Amino acid sequence: MGFSPMGEIAVRLAERISDRSIYLVRLTVEDPEVGDVGQHFLLILPVYVGVGMSPAGSAPANDEAPQHIEQRWRTAFESSAIGITMADLAGRFFAANSVFRNMLGYTESELYELTYLDVTYEEDQKTNQELVGELMEGKRQHFQIEKRYCRKDGTLVWVRNYVSRVPGMGGVAPFWFAVVEDITQRKEEESARRYTEEKYRVMVETASDAVICLDESSAILLANPATTRVFGYDPTELIGKPLTMLMPEFLRKLHEGGFKRYLATGQRHINWQGTELIGLRKNGQEFPVEVSFGELIQDGHRVFTGFIRDISERKQAEEIRKQAQKAIQTTQAELARVSRLTTMGELAASIAHEVNQPLTAVNNNSSACLRLLANERLQPDVLRRALEEIVADGTRASAIIARIRTFIKKAPAEKNRLDVNEVIGEVLAMMGHGFEENRIVLKSELAQALPPVLGDRVQLQQVLLNLIMNGVEAMTAIVDRPRLLWVQSRIDESGDVLIAVRDSGTGLGLEADSVFTPFFTTKANGMGMGLSISRSLIDAHGGRLWTTPNSPHGAVFSFTLPVPAGSPS
Amino acid sequence: MNGSVVFVVDDDRSVRSSLKLLISSVGLQVESFESADTFLQRKPPDAPSCLVLDVRLRGLSGLDFQRELAARNIHIPIVFITGHGDIPMSVRAMKAGAIEFLTKPFRDQDLLDAVRIALEQDRARREQERDLTDLQQRFDSLTPREQEVISMVVSGMLNKQIAGELGTAENTVKVHRSRAMEKMNAQSFADLVRMIEKIKGPTKKAS
Repeated sequence: MGFSPMGEIAVRLAERISDRSIYLVRLTVEDPEVGDVGQHFLLILPVYVGVGMSPAGSAPANDEAPQHIEQRWRTAFESSAIGITMADLAGRFFAANSVFRNMLGYTESELYELTYLDVTYEEDQKTNQELVGELMEGKRQHFQIEKRYCRKDGTLVWVRNYVSRVPGMGGVAPFWFAVVEDITQRKEEESARRYTEEKYRVMVETASDAVICLDESSAILLANPATTRVFGYDPTELIGKPLTMLMPEFLRKLHEGGFKRYLATGQRHINWQGTELIGLRKNGQEFPVEVSFGELIQDGHRVFTGFIRDISERKQAEEIRKQAQKAIQTTQAELARVSRLTTMGELAASIAHEVNQPLTAVNNNSSACLRLLANERLQPDVLRRALEEIVADGTRASAIIARIRTFIKKAPAEKNRLDVNEVIGEVLAMMGHGFEENRIVLKSELAQALPPVLGDRVQLQQVLLNLIMNGVEAMTAIVDRPRLLWVQSRIDESGDVLIAVRDSGTGLGLEADSVFTPFFTTKANGMGMGLSISRSLIDAHGGRLWTTPNSPHGAVFSFTLPVPAGSPS
Repeated sequence: MNGSVVFVVDDDRSVRSSLKLLISSVGLQVESFESADTFLQRKPPDAPSCLVLDVRLRGLSGLDFQRELAARNIHIPIVFITGHGDIPMSVRAMKAGAIEFLTKPFRDQDLLDAVRIALEQDRARREQERDLTDLQQRFDSLTPREQEVISMVVSGMLNKQIAGELGTAENTVKVHRSRAMEKMNAQSFADLVRMIEKIKGPTKKAS
C-alpha cells in the first residue's frame, strides 16, 4: 500500500478530459503521519461537470453518443462517496456534488454564490490562500490541506482537501478541482488520543513512584523524574542500562532468570501487582520497594513498564506500629495481671478474714486442750470434740486457700462448660462480708436451669467480682436511700445467658461512655483498667459487656455469654 | 473471779465454740452468742463481765455495736477480735474504750490476758459504782436543810456566812453540819469534801 498523491491523479485525469476518455480510479488514502490504513473508495470522475463545460470542438473518441457519456459522468460525479467540487480561478464554486453540499449544508444555488474563502474557517484562511497563491503562480500543480469549513449552520467540519489546478483547454477556462474528505471523526479521535497520551505522560512525569520502561532485553528505555528521587540516578544515566543495576546483587540472577523464563514461557514467577522487593540506590543503599509491572506490544516488540514505589517509610511505620502493638499487648497483659492482683488486694481483707476464722478456731481449740491437759482436767469427750473441730477447720482453711490459688493463678483462658449461677455463687462467697460491712442489701435473682456456657471460670469470676466491687463502691456515699445490689441471671431475647449487676449508687451520668476506656476511672485510687479488661475478657468469650442507667438511681452493667450449640436449654 | 461471766459474740460457729472452750479452760464462765441482737436479749448479769466481740458481724458490725452499748449506758468492757483489722478501725475501737483489739489468729494468752484485764476493770467499775450508790443513799438520807448546809460547807463558806445566807443562827448551822457528817459517815472535813465531789463531781468555789 503506497501513498497516492491525489493531485497527480487529478492532473492525469484532466489530460484525459480533453480527449473525453473515461478514467476509472481506485484511490487508497493512507496518511503516513497517522498510519491509518482505511479509506478505500472507488471514484469515477466525470468528464463534464456543470453547465457549459462541454469541451467544444473535440470529437468523441468512440461511437458512444456524447450525451450518454456526459450522463454517465454526471451520475458518477453526483453519487461519489467523497466530496468533489470545482471553482473558478477567483475561487467561486461552480460545481459541487451532493456529498460536498451536505458536508457544508448549502444547496447548490446557495453554494454557487460563495467562494472557497467564504466557507473556510477564519483561522485556516491564510494558509489556504497562500497555497492557492502558489498554485496560481504555477509554483505547484496541486496541494493538500487539512482545514475547517464553516457549515451553513455555523458548526465546523474538519476536511482534507486535495486541490489541483486544471489547465484551460479548448474553450474551457482553467479551474480548480478539489476532492474533499470529511475527517472530523479522525480529528476527534486524534485529539482524544492526544489528550489520553498527554494525560498518561503527565501522570508518569509527575508520579511520585519511579516509572521505568524496559525492552525485551531488560534494558531501560525510559525513566521518569521520580526515578531520581527514588534511586538517586538521573534518568539519562539509566537509559540503555540493564534494570538489574537498580537491584542488589542477590536479586539480579533471580530477575534475569525470571525475565528470561517469562519471555520464553509467559510464566510469571512473581506477582505483577504490588510485589515487595529490595531496591538499590545509586549510593549503594538497599531499601524496600513495591513493584508493579505492565506489558504492552509496540511495533511487534514487548515493552515492560514498572512502577516502583519506595516503601521505606511505610515499612518503618509498619515496624513501629508492630512494636507499639506488641508493647501494648505486653502492657495490657501486665495490666490485666496487676489489676487482678489489685482486685486481690482489695479482696485480701475478706479473704484474710475467711482464712483466719478456721485458723483462730484451731488455735483456740488446741490451746484450750493443752491448758486442760496441764491441769489434768481434760475429759476425753471434750478432747474428741476439740480434735474433730480442729480437723474440720483445717479442711476449711485449705479449701479457702485452694480457691484463692485458683483465683490468683495467671492461667491462660481455659474454656469449660460452666453454670453461670455457680460462678455467681463463688464470687458472692469471695465477697464474704463485703456487703454487710458496706451495709448493702444483696438481692440475687438467678434464673433456674440456665444452659451451661463455655467460659474461663477464673476470668468470669474476675469480671463479675469487678462489676460487683464497682457497684459496692458506687454506693458507699449513699446515705439517703437503701444501698441495693442486684445480681441477676437470665436468658435474653437472643438465647444468650445474660448476667446483670445493678446498683442504686451514684450512677455514671455522662461518663457512661468512657468507663470502658483504659485508664478512665471515677475512683480516687482506681487504675481505670477494671472495666476495660472486663470488656476484653467478655469479648474473648464472644459476649458483650455494656452499661445502662438504673432507674431511679445507679447503673446496670450487663454482659452476655453465648450458649454453645447443642446445649439443652 | 467468782461469778464472772465472759460473753463471746462471733458469727462464726467454730470460732465461737473454740473461744468458749478456751476461755472455760481457765475456769471462767462463758456464754456465746452468734449476733449482737441475741446478746442484747440476755439480762445483764449482776457480776463482773466482759465482751469478746468480733468486728465483722452480720447485721450490726462490732464497732456499731460498741456505740450502741454506750448509747444504752451499758458499760461492759470489750475485747475486739478481727480477721483483718486495719489501724483506723482499731484506733476507733480503742478510743471508744475497748480493752484490746486482737487480730485473728491471736495467741491464746493474749486473749486470756485481755479478758482478765476486762473483767478486773469491770469489777473495779462495779465496786466504784457500788460505793457511789452507797454514798448517794447516805446523801439522800440527809434532810434538805442538812444537804443545803453541807453543800455550802464544801464550797468553802464559813459557818457564820452560811448562817447569814440562810438567816439562821450560827449554832444551828453547826448542829446541821455535825449531824450531816455523822450521817455521811465522814471521818473529817476533807473526807466529806471527797464524798460530795464523788456524788456531784468537783465542786466550784462559790463566789
